[in-house]
Amino acid sequence: MNTLYSNADAFALDDSGHTNVEGGRQATVAANSAARTGVRLAVRDLAMRYPNGHTALTNLNLAVNAGEMVVVLGSNGSGKSTFMKCVVGLNRPTNGSIEVAGRDLAQLSGKDLRIGRLPLAIISQNANLVKRRSVLANVCCGTLGRHRTWATALGRIPKSEIESSLGFLDEVGLLHLAHQRAGTLSGGQAQRVAVARALAQRPQVLLADEPVASLDPEAADEVMQLLRRLATDDGLAIVCVLHQPELASRYADRLIGLRRGRMEFDQPASAVSSRQIASLYTSEAA
Amino acid sequence: MPPRKSSLHTAWLVFAAIVALAVFGQTLYVVQARPQDLVTGAHGMADIISRALPPAYDQFVPNLWPVLETIDLAIFGTVFGVLMAFPLAILAASNVTPARPLYFGARALIGITRAVPDLVWALLFVTAVGLGPFPGALALAVHSVGMLGRLFAEVIEDMDMGPVEALTLTGAGRLQVFTHAVVPGVLPSLLGISLFRFDENLRSSLILGFVGAGGIGFQLLTSMNLFQYQTVSLLLIITFALVACAERVSAYLRSKVT
Repeated sequence: MNTLYSNADAFALDDSGHTNVEGGRQATVAANSAARTGVRLAVRDLAMRYPNGHTALTNLNLAVNAGEMVVVLGSNGSGKSTFMKCVVGLNRPTNGSIEVAGRDLAQLSGKDLRIGRLPLAIISQNANLVKRRSVLANVCCGTLGRHRTWATALGRIPKSEIESSLGFLDEVGLLHLAHQRAGTLSGGQAQRVAVARALAQRPQVLLADEPVASLDPEAADEVMQLLRRLATDDGLAIVCVLHQPELASRYADRLIGLRRGRMEFDQPASAVSSRQIASLYTSEAA
Repeated sequence: MPPRKSSLHTAWLVFAAIVALAVFGQTLYVVQARPQDLVTGAHGMADIISRALPPAYDQFVPNLWPVLETIDLAIFGTVFGVLMAFPLAILAASNVTPARPLYFGARALIGITRAVPDLVWALLFVTAVGLGPFPGALALAVHSVGMLGRLFAEVIEDMDMGPVEALTLTGAGRLQVFTHAVVPGVLPSLLGISLFRFDENLRSSLILGFVGAGGIGFQLLTSMNLFQYQTVSLLLIITFALVACAERVSAYLRSKVT
């Protein structure tokens, strides 16, 4: 297996709050085995009420372990998007905590939030690649958070990061397209490049917000296989919002059902019945 | 089956057509259109054309310097315009502007430089720095700031914000997001607009000569005032060649960058 990337504590924060990549790498080697266990994302009593009074989330509790893939299911308006936005810090929850790598993101803002969010990578429905740049340049963008310097702002990415970015491209099976323009890729390829960019961030937790919504079934399957492999082989904790229950049942370790902002179930995928899933998509009036 | 269009709709169409005709009709009165004068004036035009032929080809070499002046006016105006317009456009684009007061300030500056025609800027600069190509170059540059600033800002506002958000969430800084996502996203469009502006500036620089801002325009004015119509016809041929070349080169380069 390609171990060019290690998710565990690959970055480390020094006392001044700056990222210490080299120190992080050394720590990674020592802590490699420990990294594959333990809670990577812990959400406690998460609640979100919008200023207009609408309650989007009510007392959500969730823990995702290293190497685990959790899929969140729910109809439109069930609170999935709000949940994801709260976790990445785009929405500030009205109550609760979101712990990643020992820091409560719900309490952070500004620079602290940016640093606290580094162990968290996000891929969304659209790959959001810079279409006129090469595939490799797009993947290298995932490293920018660790190298906030004038040199990287002007396009000079450290050689070691370019090499590791090539490794991530290899991991998603697209090394041969490294120098191709991102705009020429198919939807499935673009999404895999987005995954490689997320890996370049060296995250502990990968959030995927409807990553296969705009893909055909074959490409969707490829992306889900890739995510599954990243969880199993590399020990990444993955939280994935999906609208396809069958894909969820096939690839997830655990399924979480959201309905009107409340958690309906949080069970191993094999234990969730089709009736439970169907109930998530049934309107109140029905 | 969809409902048929009502007779009221037809009546509206007829009314709109009558209004359009009335609007055009009043322009004929206001501009004092006299088509018969074109017929009676044909003799005068034929006289000028006969006096303008053959073109004074011997004046070609002495006029090469004004040609260079005209081209350089356009290059200076475009380069200076782009350099000033780009930072202004960033401030004036609602999706990337760092602060609202800067947004309004930049919009106001763009509005003023755009609203005042380049000919008026040229008159102002001739008064300020005297005759010659420099006031013309300044006029083109200042007017270009307004024209380019607005178009640049619109391109930036219309850009795909997905990559910007994606990079921001990876922890990249504002400058990094700007250079790695914003610039590659908008650069081809900005280059295309700049090349189109060069083409426009070249044509404008010909006119600016008429108010003493150098270049072929100034030579054209002088030759006309001295009744040297053969020189005028040569200068018109040069002008046509210049404009045609600039259009082709600009179109070719735009096709390469967009």
